[in-house]
Amino acid sequence: MADITAAFAGAARPRLGPVLPVLLLAAPALAASLVNLSIQLPPERWWATLAGHGLDDTAVILALYSFAPRLVVSLLAGGALGLAGALLQQVLRNPIASPTTLGLEAGATLALAATLVGAPALVGLGREWVALGGGLLAIALVLALSRRSGFAPLVVILAGMVAGLACAALAALLALFNSHYLAGLFLWGAGSLSQQDWSAPAFLAPRLALAGLAAALLLRPLTLLGLDDGAARSLGLSLALARFAALAVAVALTAFVVAGVGSLGFIGLAAPVLARIGGARRVGARLLAAALIGAALLWLTDQMVQLLSGVTGAMLPTGAVTAMFGAPLLLWMVPRLRLPPQVGAGLVAHATGLVRPLPLLAGLALLLAVAALASAALGPGGGGWTLSGPADPVWALRAPRILAAMAGGTLLAVAGGILQRMTGNPMASSEVLGVSAGAACGLVVAMFAFDVVGRAGQTLAATLGALVALVGILALARASKGAPERVILAGVAIGALLDSLVSLLMASGDPRAVLLFNWMTGSTYGIDLSSATISLAAAGLALAALPLVARWLDILPLGGVSARAVGMPSFLSRSLLLALAALATAMATLLVGPLSFVGLIAPPLARLAGLRRPLAELIGAALLGSLIMVGADFIGRTIAFPWQLPAGLVACMIGAPAFLWLLTHKQAAP
Amino acid sequence: MTPLSRRALLRGGLAAGVLSLPLAGPAPAGTALRPPFRVVAMDFGLAETLIEIGLPPVALPDPGGWADWVVEPALPPGIVNLGTDREPNLELLAALKPDLIVTTPYLAAIRPLLEGFAPTREFPVYAPPGGHPYALSEAATRSLGAAVGRTDEAEALIARAQAAMAQAGAGFVRAGIADRPVLAVNFLDTRHVRVYGSGSLFGDVMERTGLVNGWTRPSNYWGFSTVGIEELAQSPASSLLYLEPISVDTLDRLAASPLWNSLAFVKAGRVLRLPPVLMFGMLPSAMRFAGQLSRVLDRRPSDG
Repeated sequence: MADITAAFAGAARPRLGPVLPVLLLAAPALAASLVNLSIQLPPERWWATLAGHGLDDTAVILALYSFAPRLVVSLLAGGALGLAGALLQQVLRNPIASPTTLGLEAGATLALAATLVGAPALVGLGREWVALGGGLLAIALVLALSRRSGFAPLVVILAGMVAGLACAALAALLALFNSHYLAGLFLWGAGSLSQQDWSAPAFLAPRLALAGLAAALLLRPLTLLGLDDGAARSLGLSLALARFAALAVAVALTAFVVAGVGSLGFIGLAAPVLARIGGARRVGARLLAAALIGAALLWLTDQMVQLLSGVTGAMLPTGAVTAMFGAPLLLWMVPRLRLPPQVGAGLVAHATGLVRPLPLLAGLALLLAVAALASAALGPGGGGWTLSGPADPVWALRAPRILAAMAGGTLLAVAGGILQRMTGNPMASSEVLGVSAGAACGLVVAMFAFDVVGRAGQTLAATLGALVALVGILALARASKGAPERVILAGVAIGALLDSLVSLLMASGDPRAVLLFNWMTGSTYGIDLSSATISLAAAGLALAALPLVARWLDILPLGGVSARAVGMPSFLSRSLLLALAALATAMATLLVGPLSFVGLIAPPLARLAGLRRPLAELIGAALLGSLIMVGADFIGRTIAFPWQLPAGLVACMIGAPAFLWLLTHKQAAP
Repeated sequence: MTPLSRRALLRGGLAAGVLSLPLAGPAPAGTALRPPFRVVAMDFGLAETLIEIGLPPVALPDPGGWADWVVEPALPPGIVNLGTDREPNLELLAALKPDLIVTTPYLAAIRPLLEGFAPTREFPVYAPPGGHPYALSEAATRSLGAAVGRTDEAEALIARAQAAMAQAGAGFVRAGIADRPVLAVNFLDTRHVRVYGSGSLFGDVMERTGLVNGWTRPSNYWGFSTVGIEELAQSPASSLLYLEPISVDTLDRLAASPLWNSLAFVKAGRVLRLPPVLMFGMLPSAMRFAGQLSRVLDRRPSDG
């Protein structure tokens, strides 16, 4: 193990290496398990039970068919997700890759939701198979989309994230209109480990053993995959084949867990990172360490959840709690993590040729104006479609939501464009920054802790949440010298925290969770004219600020050295850009919820349309973002009249296929 | 069946009795309202109460869901669909020109919006910190009746509900099953249930009909807890009532679970299926639940 070196810069590590985090997690987990078991079954009866006495007693039955299978499931699922995450991170050469990034969990959840609503009889075939089918469809889509790039790491992740978002949006749509029916699905999404028999361990164990064996056989190609593409190819490795095989194993591992117990995504992100911090350097050691850490982490979490619900009497889904304490853990780790240098292979947007920006931007602006007017004038009523003039009272009802949609789209596109420019990473977007999630967290806390239900109270709480997240992100940016990857990683952690909060509340069945969920889907419903106008003015201000920062966006992607060489204060400019992006995100979140898909798709759309310089790209993105949101608001208002679909969700449904199509058709093989 | 017709007879008799009583005092301001008084109900519980006092709402969010969750009283035809309750269609609302909108604290966030279309009244039955929905429903029924100028009909409904409770309770005493702990649940999936505790409408009905709610742990302000099925083993309940809807695989899966089969009410064969009853409803739902309880519990011979 000569290559096990210190993972922390300058810190010496004992030879224990990755065994240490496993022990640190497993020891308290064992202690908590013994306490939990003795609460259910007094210790003096353990031997008698093992010897087969008193097996029809309720306490013994609970221990044998609830406590024991639950413990085994936590170990199996945690180990599987840890291993899957480690495989994905190795294949994609990306420390924030996780089973969730491939859209697998969202695909499985969507399949379940659609089956429960559309064909409940199919559920009788087995929920596992429905979930597995959905997960496999999602990953097949992602792999098909990234095939042309030879499964380049960034393209796979990008396709996965977008497909995942689209699946999640569809599932959310089903849930919004069938909230009573889908109560059980929220439990599934939150990953409850509660068991009543040994069927889940019996389902998981043989499948995970097979997948683990396959991972062991893949060790050598996986080691080579860690090299850069050229070196690996020169060693005679078929890159596409090796990546595909490793991805397939990781997918199978995750799908079995999602199918068996539900979504526990954070484990797959945290365990491999902990393994690396623990000093596991070689691929084999890292995979093993990640599996063991994942098992211990989920075991510990689940036992703590059981201890806690014994005290409070409330049911906590373990998956939601994992993310709850996992998110701060990730935030703590981010500044200490050594990231590999950004791998350049991947999404290099190919301009379709030289485009003069001004005519294109003017055309987009005109299109936006026409779309906004058409949306205000047209709509179905009780007696069919009507065209109404500005004097009609429906204009007063429609105008605020159109203006809000325009403002939201503009702000999100600007925020996303800045982040993508800064990081050179097409995965960056407002929601990845965590500020949207921060705003949503503020609202959740206000709604559930203080019973604030008025609109003014909600707005204040969301603003405070966004500000806290913004300050936290800026402090972190400062501590990590503004390195964009770290900031994004921290944003993902905040997003996981929000997810866990919401899943927890949804699983509790509290009907207020539906209100929250409604807002989270990005609804422009019920905004008043003055707030909409103020928001649009704010969006205008953000656009006006762009020429001031455009030069930085041109230079920063070249790296700190180049920036300093032209006399630019690297830290200051990065922080200001982050602040601008964060503020824009906070304002947009209050308008159209944290599902900021527009921030992810509008800037690449502008680049693909041929807008290459930062200023033209950002303005083009803002116009496109506005256009998407206005169209989404119109469709959401009219397509299922009198039902209304939230604009954020509709934007996602329009944007995702468009983006995926562009990704496959503009993406040349390297 | 006989219980139903018996109840209907009793209900009619009681209503007639109440109506024949001379009512003291002048009717409140409500009587000044125009005859075709147009009310929009934002909640199923308020809508079922309006139907029972003879003034069905003109519009309602998701009337299509009525058959899945409420069933009884039947929804009159021609009620306008407003979409979801969180986001009722404002353009439709403006076109309907209602005289009154009735809503609940759950929709407090959109109340300022609703007030732009008609006078809006809020009736708390399920609200923090929680309470007893039956008693709160009685109060809400009274104030709703006053708000729409139908105080007599509201009092009659309250009396009908009381009579229904008393009648179901008497039936349980006759069948020798009073004071027996009972659990009322909805299955969420094959591993979890929503169980209705002391702050729920179902809990209140059990209390008023002399049964004992087998779920004594604290619940949220809607009166339920979400728990894994293994938690039910802690309850002393000798019967389990589950309400439709239930997904098709749930009972098959449970039948294979040793833990499920070890539960007292499963061993005794007292796992009873009920048609849908609105769990977050008001007095009409309480009456329906009491009726369904009588139907499934009275019929079974008492044993033990």
